Amino acid sequence: MKLCTNILRPLVRPSYTSVKYSTVPAAQDKVVEATKNQDILSHPDYFNVHNLFTVKDLFDARVHYGHKEGSLNQRMLPYIYGSRLGHTIFDLNITAEYLRLALNVAAHIAYRDGLILFFLRGAQNAHLVEQTAKECGEFAHTRFWRGGIFTNANTQFGAVTRLPDLCIFFNTLNNVLIQHTAVRDSAKMGITTIGIVDSNCNPNLITYPVPGNDDSPAAIALYCKLFKNAILRGKEKRKEHFNEK
Amino acid sequence: MAGSRLERIGTIYSRTAGLIQSGALNWADRPLWYDIYEAFPPKEEPRYDRPAPNMKLKQIFYKEDRIRAMFHRNNKHIGATNMFNHNYKTLTQRFIDTYQKVEQQYAGNATEEQIYKEAIGILKSEFESKKEKAAVEHEEESVSLSSQFRQAQSALDAQAKSKINLDVGDIFKN
Repeated sequence: MKLCTNILRPLVRPSYTSVKYSTVPAAQDKVVEATKNQDILSHPDYFNVHNLFTVKDLFDARVHYGHKEGSLNQRMLPYIYGSRLGHTIFDLNITAEYLRLALNVAAHIAYRDGLILFFLRGAQNAHLVEQTAKECGEFAHTRFWRGGIFTNANTQFGAVTRLPDLCIFFNTLNNVLIQHTAVRDSAKMGITTIGIVDSNCNPNLITYPVPGNDDSPAAIALYCKLFKNAILRGKEKRKEHFNEK
Repeated sequence: MAGSRLERIGTIYSRTAGLIQSGALNWADRPLWYDIYEAFPPKEEPRYDRPAPNMKLKQIFYKEDRIRAMFHRNNKHIGATNMFNHNYKTLTQRFIDTYQKVEQQYAGNATEEQIYKEAIGILKSEFESKKEKAAVEHEEESVSLSSQFRQAQSALDAQAKSKINLDVGDIFKN
């Protein structure tokens, strides 16, 4: 319950209202803000997230290991390099491309003061993910997902609730190997999702899927580090820009 | 706020764009990710009904897999290898290297079995010479260690004897 109430953040964060993200200038003094905002978005990699990792780092963290061929989801085929003696192996060049896009989006959301929620089912790495969320000032949900946390939030929490703006799934399956309900609920509520999809997952409903191993502690640790750094870079830039004025 | 919960129709972006276009949602009230999504669209549309691509799973095999298979067929008990240690080559890898070297020497004038036997012989002799070397080193080291230990012990004993000149009678005097 304690973790769930974390989603309840003050509806208005300090300085949230003072920032207009609209690209349509409402008044003359907003023009400068809008063009700057547009500059940031038109830059292909404003927060420099591409240098956070190399393909070698992915390899060393065992990101390329998929599940056995038999549990392969056909929708994952374009991301898979091949099958080595019955085990699927991810193409790390493709993974790196998708991961960089996902990190960039995470940094942009953090820059705009979006709420970010980390997900992971599985006790082994749950603490690591919660710790990561704490370190970058965001939230984590690693326990049993009670239905309606997103879809029935106002009733469940007894107040108007601000839902997260980005959900990051370190694995998209729950304990019984069916898709995490929050993936569907995020799509329902119009929340962007980033998800590490292993070879037995369905990437369709994830907005920014990242093909890769979601079981190894080393891989999860790498993802945690990368997303934490990307989010911190976004927040740093935000501090820089909005303290200037 | 207006919203569409039909996650199986279109994408989150297309639903939100539709709401904005129809006027159900104000442009100013659009979600935080809306501009980001427009600037950095996902590589594939996140549609629920996106069909699986018609592709075949490729099998990964290397040329040296033949040699590897031969080695493992004839040697069932090779023992465990630590895959985190990159400081030395595994036994299988060393066999493959020697096999390829031998194969090059023969330049196609030998059968697989011949090359295999020769490569195994080279590995064995390498192993034996290494073992001997290790044994010699070990002996030398142990001799020096034990002698050093004995020396140190005798020195300590002498020190202790010279320091303690205590009489039991002195303790119970008072």
